[in-house]
Amino acid sequence: MHRAAQRRIIIPFLLPALLLLGVFFLYPLVRTVDISFTEWTRTGSYHYVGVENYTRVVDDPGYLNALKNAFLFTLVGGCMLFPVAIAIAWALNQRIHGERFFRFVVFAPVVLSAAVVALMWKFVYHPTLGLINPALEGLGLGALARTWLGDAATALPAVAFVTVWHGIGIWVVLLSAGFERLPPDVLEAGRIDGAGEWRLFRSVMLPMLRDLFRILVVLWIVQSMQAFAFVFIMTGGGPFGSTDIVGTLMYRVAFERSEFGYAAAMGVVLVVIMLIVAQLVNKVMKRDELQY
Amino acid sequence: MSSSTDVRPVPAAGRPTPPPSRRRRGRGGRRQGSDRAPFRRFHLIIYLLLGAVAFSTAGAFAWVFNVSMKTNTEFIGTRPWTVAEGWRWENYTDAWSAANVGSFFGNSVIVSISATALGVVLAAFAAYPLARIPFRGSGLVLSVFLLGLMVPWMVTFIPLYVTMQDLGLLDSRLGLALVYATYNLPFNVFVLVGFMRTLPGELEEAAAVDGAGPVRTFLRIILPLMGPGLASVSIISFLQNWNEFFYALVLIHSPERMTLPLGLFQLGQAADYGTNWVTLFAGMMITVVPVLLVFALLQNQVTKGLTAGALKG
Repeated sequence: MHRAAQRRIIIPFLLPALLLLGVFFLYPLVRTVDISFTEWTRTGSYHYVGVENYTRVVDDPGYLNALKNAFLFTLVGGCMLFPVAIAIAWALNQRIHGERFFRFVVFAPVVLSAAVVALMWKFVYHPTLGLINPALEGLGLGALARTWLGDAATALPAVAFVTVWHGIGIWVVLLSAGFERLPPDVLEAGRIDGAGEWRLFRSVMLPMLRDLFRILVVLWIVQSMQAFAFVFIMTGGGPFGSTDIVGTLMYRVAFERSEFGYAAAMGVVLVVIMLIVAQLVNKVMKRDELQY
Repeated sequence: MSSSTDVRPVPAAGRPTPPPSRRRRGRGGRRQGSDRAPFRRFHLIIYLLLGAVAFSTAGAFAWVFNVSMKTNTEFIGTRPWTVAEGWRWENYTDAWSAANVGSFFGNSVIVSISATALGVVLAAFAAYPLARIPFRGSGLVLSVFLLGLMVPWMVTFIPLYVTMQDLGLLDSRLGLALVYATYNLPFNVFVLVGFMRTLPGELEEAAAVDGAGPVRTFLRIILPLMGPGLASVSIISFLQNWNEFFYALVLIHSPERMTLPLGLFQLGQAADYGTNWVTLFAGMMITVVPVLLVFALLQNQVTKGLTAGALKG
């Protein structure tokens, strides 16, 4: 009787959430695939063109450039992110003074909107009104000054740096939780055997955290492949397409050129590529599970 | 354990090493000063590293604040770190009313609060049967929710745009709130199901013996026990909704309905071509300060919610 009463609430409890999910997520998701096989006109009428959009995507130099930039962004950002995040997480676990303050400062940018952070850094990078170039000149390093966001060589790393600056707090929190769950007796044993902190870090902590690293690397890849706000606000994809990524390209194709079908195909290809890459990374980094 | 994790003894070098268990349990606030590790040489490196991070963050905000106190001519004419000549609070009132930051702020409050409330309430209702009532297809329903965590949600923007147009929800705050609530659901359901599964199974049986129906059991017994979980998902959803940029850009066109991130972006575009920088900087401060204050109060909740969602469950 109790079970029967419970069964009666299943549908009414689930329905509202499923309804929202259906209308605003599942239906659009299915329709994205459908739209990717059509060609839209500016008036909103459309007709099916089969796989034409997909064959176009594959040879579109603009799309290939966007993909290349997305990978580069992921790679450059990852190289900036992980060493620093691991160092900070390790440092915060050393029971130092002012730990709460440092945790606050490291995490604070995370709670700010990407729009504000991007705008702020756009000005920080500004060649004459910003902070970086005048500071370099002040230090006598004027030769290093450049138009950071206007130079095809530096724009992508500059945007990647801001993305990392904004989000590093999340990764520090997750890594920190990993450090905290390391078994104290193993670390203790290491200390008794005379291992210094560096040795413990390199030979005990890093190997034991490998599973966590694997998850975080996959998360980073998935997340940075869909970066949008920073690139859109700071450079809009320029200069000369050097920061154009799939998100900004899709947005332009859809709303400036009104080619909805083509933009949808770009999105579907991105999802497929992302799933493949995530699987690959997961496999490459997989070792036997550690139990502790 | 694999060989790479074995601790190999290191030939005892230099200083004899350290003290008994330095392990701590439970974080934030409850540690006393006496509990801290004694200062050691390598701590200097830690302080330098963390100090640099803290300096960059604080410096960036100090700079924004300083510029927000300047005049436009001062901003162009002086070196970036020159301290503003006076306290020009009128930049803030200009930003608030003339540049519409007040209205953006109001829109953001309305949209984020309603979306967060809707997303959390619906997720709590949906999570209950998924976590505690065995039924056929529950695994399937749960994976449909979790699909939302795996598919990059940005990809669906074209049909979403078309759907919103068909429903007459394009360029409306209601439409934006519904979309945000939907995109909060997968994470909220995922975390709340995890939390609910940890509650003991006797709860419902005891309630049934006492004559409570399932709805009553859920509202009076399960929900009150979910306090920390609900707080976590509410805070994280709210932050996400407050800061969301992409869907606001796609779905909202009229300036009077824009949220803060979108409004500031528009202001930034205008500053690019015009000369009104200081108002933009004041607008940024107005956007940033309340969020940072709330975060300072709820720091532990926010970070705990994050680890609960990402690592457990």
